[in-house]
Amino acid sequence: MRRFAIISLVLISALALGLVGTVRAQSDITICFGFQDLETEFWVAGHKAITETLRGQGIEVLEYNANEDPNRQLEQVRECIAQGVDGIIIIPQDGDSAVTIINEAQASDVPIAVFNRPPNDRSRGITVVADNVSATEQAVEFMAQQALVKWAVTGNTVQPLILVGALQDTNAIGRREGFFNVITRYSEKYPGLFAEPIEVATEWDAATALANLEAAITANPNVDFIFTSSDFLFPTIRSVLEPRGKWVPRGDANHVIMGGLDGDATACQLIDQGFVDATGVQDLFLEAELTMDRLLQAIADGETQPNEVLLDPGFALSAANIQFDRSEMWGCVLLDEGFLDQ
Amino acid sequence: MDQGDLTHPWSTTQRLTIEGCTVSTVNDRLSQVQSLARRKKSRSASISTATQLIRKFLLSDYFVLYLTLILFISAAFFFPTLGTPGNIANQLQNMWPLLAVAIGQTFVLILGGIDLSLGATMGFTSVVGAIVMAQNLDPAFFDKSPLWGTLMRPEGGLLAGSALAVPVGVLVMLAVGTSIGFLNGYAITRFKMAPFMVTLVTSTFFAGFALWLTQSRNISGLPEAFIELGKGDIVSVYLGPKLTPDIARRDILQFITYPFVIAAGLAVLAQFLLSKTVFGRQMFSIGTNRVTSDISGLPSQSVIIRVYMFSGFCAAVASILYSARLAIGQPSLGGGNLLLDIIGAAVIGGTSLFGGKGSVRGTFFGVAFFVLLLNILNAMRLDPFVIDAVKGGFILLAALVDVTRTRLMNREQRA
Repeated sequence: MRRFAIISLVLISALALGLVGTVRAQSDITICFGFQDLETEFWVAGHKAITETLRGQGIEVLEYNANEDPNRQLEQVRECIAQGVDGIIIIPQDGDSAVTIINEAQASDVPIAVFNRPPNDRSRGITVVADNVSATEQAVEFMAQQALVKWAVTGNTVQPLILVGALQDTNAIGRREGFFNVITRYSEKYPGLFAEPIEVATEWDAATALANLEAAITANPNVDFIFTSSDFLFPTIRSVLEPRGKWVPRGDANHVIMGGLDGDATACQLIDQGFVDATGVQDLFLEAELTMDRLLQAIADGETQPNEVLLDPGFALSAANIQFDRSEMWGCVLLDEGFLDQ
Repeated sequence: MDQGDLTHPWSTTQRLTIEGCTVSTVNDRLSQVQSLARRKKSRSASISTATQLIRKFLLSDYFVLYLTLILFISAAFFFPTLGTPGNIANQLQNMWPLLAVAIGQTFVLILGGIDLSLGATMGFTSVVGAIVMAQNLDPAFFDKSPLWGTLMRPEGGLLAGSALAVPVGVLVMLAVGTSIGFLNGYAITRFKMAPFMVTLVTSTFFAGFALWLTQSRNISGLPEAFIELGKGDIVSVYLGPKLTPDIARRDILQFITYPFVIAAGLAVLAQFLLSKTVFGRQMFSIGTNRVTSDISGLPSQSVIIRVYMFSGFCAAVASILYSARLAIGQPSLGGGNLLLDIIGAAVIGGTSLFGGKGSVRGTFFGVAFFVLLLNILNAMRLDPFVIDAVKGGFILLAALVDVTRTRLMNREQRA
């Protein structure tokens, strides 16, 4: 009984203190920011950029983590609407649920913006998205040129492999499309350069990616060209390749030509070290700025249903241009600020 | 001291006090002891009244309701938005799907079991229902599905365009959910396997099966009539003056909705089964002591199978509500922390994890408490990453309350 009383007291006191402590002056504008789990560096940095910038402008930000549950996110957005927020920013779990959530917000006359993971129907809401196809094509183009050199030297067909994201996410679809566009183009131009690509499902989950990649590499030990649809999987790739002696820098005969997409701090570091050849870069800071600016403009103008797609063209950072374009890549900026040391 | 002094102690005391001495007679001590005892008695009486009150509060069937009301009133004092009609209406809408699935878990817990497959059952039934009802399917997304070309075509699902699509789709969802429950119950009773293990295995299997069938894609394009089941309202209210010809949608409060009617209907049915039928009594008996129930000749195996079937049925009802309001068949529905919410709501509502105790009313209060708690934690602007930890703390507290209540009840019964 005493133990129960103590635990109850601690929890209830914590709640009461929290209640008292969190009552604060309300600012003029309140933005609801709903996101799924921040499982990659990209999302962590994006979350930080948005919340810090908004708070820096004296805007109150209500944060909601839906833990990868679109139904929970819908409930949270409804809660935001009930609390009378002025605008909503979401990072949805997938493009399908995003459509329903946007409709819910617009039906209640609350402007809504979608950050980086676009809805399947982009005709409603503010959608800020990277051109995934183009950014991937640029990165894979550089990788294909490396493959061409290797093929010319060794005469061996290159075996490509792609780590595919969760295909209910339009980002994953765009990246897969960009990858195949380049591989098909080079295969047509240089028959015998590439073998049939191997697709490995990741569901945007490192554990799933690890299990599937292990199986794929065991079955196809000749894989020497890997593209990951997100840079956050490089450590996973490393854990599979290193024991096989294939995690080696450029210049080594066993080097696997490698690329990804996002442009995070890990990718920047790995390009520096020579393990990764190229990565497609989404301009995170630009996307965060576009999202906030357009939403705040809509709030200021009393526009309740703004519909607009804002594109981040993206670019590729490779071993060839990292020394010139380093400052343009958000991951390198964070790396230089000591992000990976935190 | 003469005889008179002894018979008149007051005079003796007076005399001795006058002489500058402090002397206590036997009678003095007696009266002091008596007064001390009176004070002690009165203090212990007040303590025992307080204990009785706490005991009464803890043992009351409405304990969680009282707690919910206290929490709501105190929180609304700090955060007035919590008490606005819009927020209350919204939180009520959040309750119904969770209530539906938590009722199923309550039944299983009363039996002394646990159903970890509820989330996967929801995901699988969501996909199956969508395969029946979808009005169109994009080949770019589904051409690698094993069902492509047979049950899934560019024109839609099995009954695309048919007036029967929604009723048949809903019935298929309910039948599939109930069948998964049957599989669980059969494996538990026939092979004497632990419920934890059986439902964990079915959970993994059906979650994976749903992902395989859809190649991890959501199925959109569901009929409007089905979507209405998730968010359609029967009675809506507007509170306030009518200043403009149009009332903004955000000011209209959903009062009686389809999810409310469906969840309330399920709750009434469940309460009837629990309290008014032999089946309900058998459940409590088996949950309290399986061995005794078997010796007494109760059809334990049949009851266990039926309870798991009902649990699967409830998961299918929740799946209908969740899928309809999101307007997609979602293979990952029920993943994440939803299972924690389901078990948490049932336990907070007083359902014992050891079996033999629980009620639909309690689960309803538990769901209300759980939804309110989340609402408050969000309103507190807590770091979103801390909220789950706090939620976990409250489930722990609920489990401790359960243990304390059981102990108190047992003590009272012995007394």
